[in-house]
Amino acid sequence: MNLPPFVLHQPLTIDEAVATFAQHPGEADWLAGGTDLLPNYKWRLNAKPHVISLHRVEGLRDLTPTHIGAMVTLRELEGSAELQARLPVIPATARQVASVLLRASGTLGGNLMLENRCFYFNQSEHWRRSWEPCMKAEGDRCHVVPQQELCYATFSSDMAGTLCALDATAQLLGPQAGREVPLQELYLFDGIRRHARTPGELLIGVRLPECAPTWRTGYRKLRLRGSWDFPELGVAISIQIVDGALSRLRIVLNALEQAPRSLDSVTKPYVGGPLSDQAIEELAAASFERARPYRNTSFPPHYRRKMVPVFVRDLLRHLRDS
Amino acid sequence: MSRHGAHHPRSVVGKRMPLVDARRKVTGSGVYTEDIYLPNMLVARILRSTQHHARIISIDTTEAIEVPGVAAVITGAEYPNKFGVIPISKDETALATEKVVYVGDVVCAIAGSDLYAVEEALAKVKVAYEPLPAYHKPEESLEEVPEKIHPLGIGKTNIHRMVDQDFGDIEQAKRSAAITARGRFTFQGVTHGFTEPHAVVARYEVDGRLTVWTATQVPHYVHRALSEVLGIQMHRIRVVKPMVGGGFGGKSDPFPHEMAAAILSMRTGRPVKLVFDREEVFLTNHGRHPTSTRMEMTASEDGKLTGLDIEALIDGGAWSSFGVISTYYNGVLSVAPYDIPNFRYKGRRVFTNKPPSGAMRGHGAVNSRFAAETLVDMIANELGIDPIQLRLRNLIPPYTDTVNHFRITSNGIAECLEVVRKASDWDSRHGNLPYGEGLGIGCGFYISGSALPIHWDPARFPQSTVHIKIDMDGGVTVHTGAAEIGQGSDTVAAQVVAEVLGLPTSMIHVKAQDTDLAPVDLGSYSSRVTFMMGNAARRAAEQVRDELTAAAARLTGYAAELFTLEDGTAHCRSRPAVQVPYMRVLHEAIADRGALVAKGCYRSPPMGGSFKGAAAGLAPAYSFSAYVAHVRVEPQSGFVHCDKVWAAHDCGKALNPLAVEGQIEGSIHMGLGQVLSEGMRYHKGQLLNPSLLDYKIPTPFEMPDVEVFIVESDDPEGPFGAKEAGEGPLLPILPAVGNAIFDAVGVRVFDLPITPDRLLKAIEEQGAADATATSSKQGSTATGRTKRGYVAGGATDEPGPALSRNQR
Repeated sequence: MNLPPFVLHQPLTIDEAVATFAQHPGEADWLAGGTDLLPNYKWRLNAKPHVISLHRVEGLRDLTPTHIGAMVTLRELEGSAELQARLPVIPATARQVASVLLRASGTLGGNLMLENRCFYFNQSEHWRRSWEPCMKAEGDRCHVVPQQELCYATFSSDMAGTLCALDATAQLLGPQAGREVPLQELYLFDGIRRHARTPGELLIGVRLPECAPTWRTGYRKLRLRGSWDFPELGVAISIQIVDGALSRLRIVLNALEQAPRSLDSVTKPYVGGPLSDQAIEELAAASFERARPYRNTSFPPHYRRKMVPVFVRDLLRHLRDS
Repeated sequence: MSRHGAHHPRSVVGKRMPLVDARRKVTGSGVYTEDIYLPNMLVARILRSTQHHARIISIDTTEAIEVPGVAAVITGAEYPNKFGVIPISKDETALATEKVVYVGDVVCAIAGSDLYAVEEALAKVKVAYEPLPAYHKPEESLEEVPEKIHPLGIGKTNIHRMVDQDFGDIEQAKRSAAITARGRFTFQGVTHGFTEPHAVVARYEVDGRLTVWTATQVPHYVHRALSEVLGIQMHRIRVVKPMVGGGFGGKSDPFPHEMAAAILSMRTGRPVKLVFDREEVFLTNHGRHPTSTRMEMTASEDGKLTGLDIEALIDGGAWSSFGVISTYYNGVLSVAPYDIPNFRYKGRRVFTNKPPSGAMRGHGAVNSRFAAETLVDMIANELGIDPIQLRLRNLIPPYTDTVNHFRITSNGIAECLEVVRKASDWDSRHGNLPYGEGLGIGCGFYISGSALPIHWDPARFPQSTVHIKIDMDGGVTVHTGAAEIGQGSDTVAAQVVAEVLGLPTSMIHVKAQDTDLAPVDLGSYSSRVTFMMGNAARRAAEQVRDELTAAAARLTGYAAELFTLEDGTAHCRSRPAVQVPYMRVLHEAIADRGALVAKGCYRSPPMGGSFKGAAAGLAPAYSFSAYVAHVRVEPQSGFVHCDKVWAAHDCGKALNPLAVEGQIEGSIHMGLGQVLSEGMRYHKGQLLNPSLLDYKIPTPFEMPDVEVFIVESDDPEGPFGAKEAGEGPLLPILPAVGNAIFDAVGVRVFDLPITPDRLLKAIEEQGAADATATSSKQGSTATGRTKRGYVAGGATDEPGPALSRNQR
């Protein structure tokens, strides 16, 4: 398969990159590692005439326990001794993304901004022509939840789940100004719009709380094979126990819906209390109730939902007892 | 590891050696079809049907041909001649003529200077279709319909082929059986997943000759089909097979794209290259049939198997391909390795509006083998007999006939079972591992070359012929039409010839690429090449050897019969001091007459019964195998980890143990995919997962540790005693894993692939059943969970239970 024709821009600075994007409103895509964008381009999925490569842009490759640049590769996260010592959940999550070869190209920013996925979207032009096209491609309806209002394509970033659980902040830079938003709030439950970025805003990195290394954080991924596969469920949990009581509890369910979902209303009553076996069972059951997978990945949705309490229970126990 | 064959001291045969083309492969210097660039070459692509079943009203190509860079646009009307790999079911045309029959069918092909021009032109082709009712469920294809998919459908139905065979008295066997095990098994279609997509380069020359380079397992059948479709005599066509990146049966048919590239080259007078993308490979498919199998097996109280009753409905998709044979193989290869006196088979193959099914490694035998080995295990479990012990009691002996008239010669199945039993510590571990951990056994049986050739013309035509030429430089050129597709046939040819002539394989140059140069071999399918081409090569080499020993006799005065060729020297057996170097002997041999040339050929001996379909499944030899698999099952999630396999395979004689091990390991990888994760999934007939991301081939993480045991039964007719090792080794791994899952968690799933969601559902249902049960057969385990017999899915909709005992 060949790529569609496009103009490749290779800016050298962040400001130049943002300015270039602003010159082509609605007609440009950012290119980081390319492992997600270019396959979609080959399938002619919403390809744009301008592609702005971030490869040569300076200042996007910081890697510290409090700040990670968008262009840091997943392989670099995996191998970072500093992260391994202070926030080992980040290398552990990165290690579960795709395969070694893809992680060598794929970046943190690219993973966080991953295009949502769906059986009825991630297909070739020929496939889409032999089926009624979906609203995320050329059509106007959804085949997952038959209606014409909302796209249910699944968000499949492993890193997003873990970083949301770590209360990460997204650093954005637009043509006018920069801003920081909690990563969780960046995501929208809409498979087409996907994030609350204004046009032309570039994700330049994420900031992590200073105290994050004092929490116990973990990630569990559901996939059929030990490599390559996108998550069909991701559970990220971050806890802190002080004097036998939970001082912090965040459970993020990911890869079930169009965006990661933080179960704050579920977890809130448990903060301040002990993480007892009973509490764990209740949290697992409540997570199950909150889980809403859709039928657009390899495993059937009822199975993905069934795995939610299994993962939540295992991970909570593991974090509590570690 | 072997007690057989040790009486033949060999210098090359039986030695572990890398394949002769291995270096070219691992360095990337090998030339595959896509690597071929010819001057002035065009590229081509295919416009495929977006309809499941439709009449073509019109195809408007006027705008397409105007696109700058486009050289030719072709549609099917001008080439109506039909082709197909099986002469009695030729049904495909180069491109669709009147109808399209599945999404992906070939409608139009365009050649141009570059892919962008070609794709722009493809988008400008306007096809008007009249949609017809589409049939995607094989059950629907058994019914009469207003518009058949295919003219070969029987009567007004979409049934392609019906096979009914009956040996012994199966009804009597059922009446007198102490125990009957039964099940309805379903198998999703699986596809080959070879590395190299289909690719072809065609060049029509000014002298009216056509050369076609193509990634194929069957150059000879492509040769015939091109001639039929294009209306050109065979001798005006040359088929070249470059290196091939795997086939597994998926390149064993002639294909429309080969015809299309040839037509485009004839039309333009320029070379044309056409390479598939991965989705086209999935749509072209020809993989294992989606299958639904009902099977019953009966046994006496002491565990003697008495009857086997099979009913299979196989989903052929849109075309015939090897389907006539697939229909037979789903039944007839299921009896052995057991001695079962009563056997009945009812097989139906139907057409549906889906990508065509065809031959895939273990052709036709794999699904029924899973079912049969599962039922054997159920019987053993119910009777309280160890499953290996029960199998050992029922084996068919060597040098006998099966109830359906297969001539069994060498047979190492008993040794296969014993060796894996011992290596896996079966006797102390099976049935005794903690909940979640299990051992399972599975056996295999497969043809070592289909005894009857597909084509009967010309009469008594050999199935394989090999030419050898040696000139004054001493190098040995071996010409064979046998298709090296990664399985190692070039290495077999080199080893066999090297062995006979006492030379290193580095002096043997195998030319197996070109129909202009190579004598005909029918191709790489049915696990026939080592046996048939190996015998042909041996016979050719023995003629050369005789000429060399005669020359040695002339030079020394000792009788030719006294000479052996070893280590590049002719040795006189009665006078060890009398030795003549190979080159000296050779030059004497060619003096006054030029290069030595010789040929050898192979045809299977007559065999088998005279009933309808008697030829299906006949082979000059059969391979046997037995595997034990160890699995860990996560009962919370239903995940199965197969972490160890002990694999014993009787290949007669391992000409190259390294290659045999590779075949066994690769077979295990492929079979694990079918049993645990792979399946072609459809939604309303639309293939949902035509990509290597969504079609779940196991990764290295899923690959178990494999311990290979080569059993050498020394076949009397195989070259140096050899039989096949390419397909049979796939069969046992599926049931071994299924039976190991049962040993681990007491659950059987009859629907493949056994994905975690399916297994978890079965475990949960068993748990619900346990909650009401007062006791369990195997007792409680440390986890508090029980391992008791439970069958999920298929068996429950049968009349009566999955296991029944006659009341006496």
